[in-house]
Amino acid sequence: MSLKDVEVRARRTEVIIALAIILATSPIIIGFSLIILSSFSKSMVTNFDPSSFHPTLENWINLLQGRSAAVGGLREDILKYTVNTAVVALGVSLVVTLVGTMSGYAISRMNFRYRKQFLLLILLLHAFPGSVLIVGVYFIYRLMSPIAMGSITTFSFFYVIIARASLEIPMAIWLMKGFFDLIPWEVEWAALIDGASRLTIWRKVMLPLVKPGVAAILLFGFLAGWQDLIYVRTFLAEKTLATFIEYNLGTLEFAEMPLVAAAATLYLLPTIIFFVTSQQLLLRVSLAGLKR
Amino acid sequence: MVSIKLDRVTKRFGKVTAVNEVSLEIVDKEFMALLGPSGSGKSTILYLIAGIYKPTSGRIFFGDKDVTELPPKERNVGLVFQNWALYPHMKVYDNIAFPLRLKKMPENYIRKKVIEVAKMLHIDHLLDRYPYQLSGGQQQRVAIARALVKEPLVLLLDEPLSNLDALLRIYVRAELKKLQKRLGITTIYVTHDQAEALAMADRIAVINEGKILQAGDPETVYNKPSCKFVGSFLGNPPMNFVEANLEYSGDTAYMIIGENKVNVPRQYTEIVNKLRPDKIIMGFRPEDTILVRNENSVNGRICLYGEVYAVEPLGREYIVTISINAKLIKAIVPRDQVFISGEKVVVCPLEEKIVLFDAKTEKAIELLI
Repeated sequence: MSLKDVEVRARRTEVIIALAIILATSPIIIGFSLIILSSFSKSMVTNFDPSSFHPTLENWINLLQGRSAAVGGLREDILKYTVNTAVVALGVSLVVTLVGTMSGYAISRMNFRYRKQFLLLILLLHAFPGSVLIVGVYFIYRLMSPIAMGSITTFSFFYVIIARASLEIPMAIWLMKGFFDLIPWEVEWAALIDGASRLTIWRKVMLPLVKPGVAAILLFGFLAGWQDLIYVRTFLAEKTLATFIEYNLGTLEFAEMPLVAAAATLYLLPTIIFFVTSQQLLLRVSLAGLKR
Repeated sequence: MVSIKLDRVTKRFGKVTAVNEVSLEIVDKEFMALLGPSGSGKSTILYLIAGIYKPTSGRIFFGDKDVTELPPKERNVGLVFQNWALYPHMKVYDNIAFPLRLKKMPENYIRKKVIEVAKMLHIDHLLDRYPYQLSGGQQQRVAIARALVKEPLVLLLDEPLSNLDALLRIYVRAELKKLQKRLGITTIYVTHDQAEALAMADRIAVINEGKILQAGDPETVYNKPSCKFVGSFLGNPPMNFVEANLEYSGDTAYMIIGENKVNVPRQYTEIVNKLRPDKIIMGFRPEDTILVRNENSVNGRICLYGEVYAVEPLGREYIVTISINAKLIKAIVPRDQVFISGEKVVVCPLEEKIVLFDAKTEKAIELLI
């Protein structure tokens, strides 16, 4: 897919803009590079000092074997934490996508009472940071949590996924509404006349046309779940990568920093991979055959 | 296949009345054109028949069956949209097969049917392409194929040609008319292009502001418009209108148009004598207008003096705009007659083709009796 652009900017302006972008992103890129570099080193690489880099794979081996430095014989099951993180992330992603696509369609296409107010309310909900709500969310957790302690782990997974997803859903609804708004009414009418029900239209006609939007909220939902610390830390009965790193840094008196760097790299990986690979997908919007 | 009847159908959107007490009958196998300017409510009427909208009041019948409350899929209509509304993510084959798949037809029946319809519309070589790989004309055929594949009782077309380029449009126009006659399917065709309506339809319903102003065969609607609007909407250039004051001396009425004093057209003398209006509008078509330099060279009784305002050569003929009392009218003249701007001329509309309208209601005056 070739990307077209108008060529109205002077060459010099383009160079200046490029430099500005590089400058603005450099702290992040440098930070990431130092962490990745440190994960392969005996001690942390700091102060741009190449002499502090002593190459080794020890950190990664320790990490994958689950040896966290300070806790003597106690082994940390990194694989399990990774799976936990993935379960939360995928769960959030699926819930956000399901609710987002269905409500986005409804709000974009159906006329009901208080539709406008509802849209504004959703926007308002999006304005609340999750950490502000956490006390209330905790009370609901206490009310709902099962008495039998055996099932508390399973329950906590469900709870974290739903609670975390509800923070992302407002944004997802707005995004999907935007995508559905772009599809001409005639396509939906055509399907109605061809004999489709509203649900069939949503599934067979509308969803395929908003694929980039679905991909976007799947991705953002996944990353929200993957990156979350505070909800997972508060409610989940198990550790994820985020809480493992936080535990290493915060709870232990002596943290093995290169090991933490390795864990951080592992933790960063999906984020980087997703953003690099999905760029094209997010850009691809084909609406041919629909003159507007 | 089926006749359609609208019985005093009204559709309101909030405070806006889009369709106002429309009654219309479309007989079986007829090609009916709904003609009107944009915003006149013609597409709304089409969507009411399709079942996308429900009327605020009034009933809709297919044959003897009241379909007012039926959802679109139980009405068995085929609809072709202005933008064709193909499903962009489906290949042509799947686009055409979609209505049959929803009916859960067996796959080999679907295949047979899709290929049959595709052959009929000459798109059978395009079946495994996506809509965006097709030209406008091809996309339009796919849309028609999708509408026809389920063998609908009624075919509804919503300005299907307006996205095609001018030459293709004239070609498709004839194709579509032939197809309709061959299939013998009741067809309703919405358009704002009077030439399309005149060329294709068995009958035309002219619509403005949610009301049907006149419904009839193209000849009648063109030659005997029921009101000023119909006359001004059909024809290119449209009908000329000249306001006239009436003067009576005994049983003879005269029309005073600026400095011209002329007889009332023969076919109207009786009606005018009966109604005795003091003001009317005279309408005549540009092609029914003879333009001469000298009144004696034509034996018409109704001649108006004016001055040539502009001359537009159109190749086959010339359109001459003439100013009569600072009012502009148009005449089509053969290209061997040359006129120059500023020249004094005599405009003689063919007497039997003149139509008179009431000045106040703008309706044809014979309708006022």
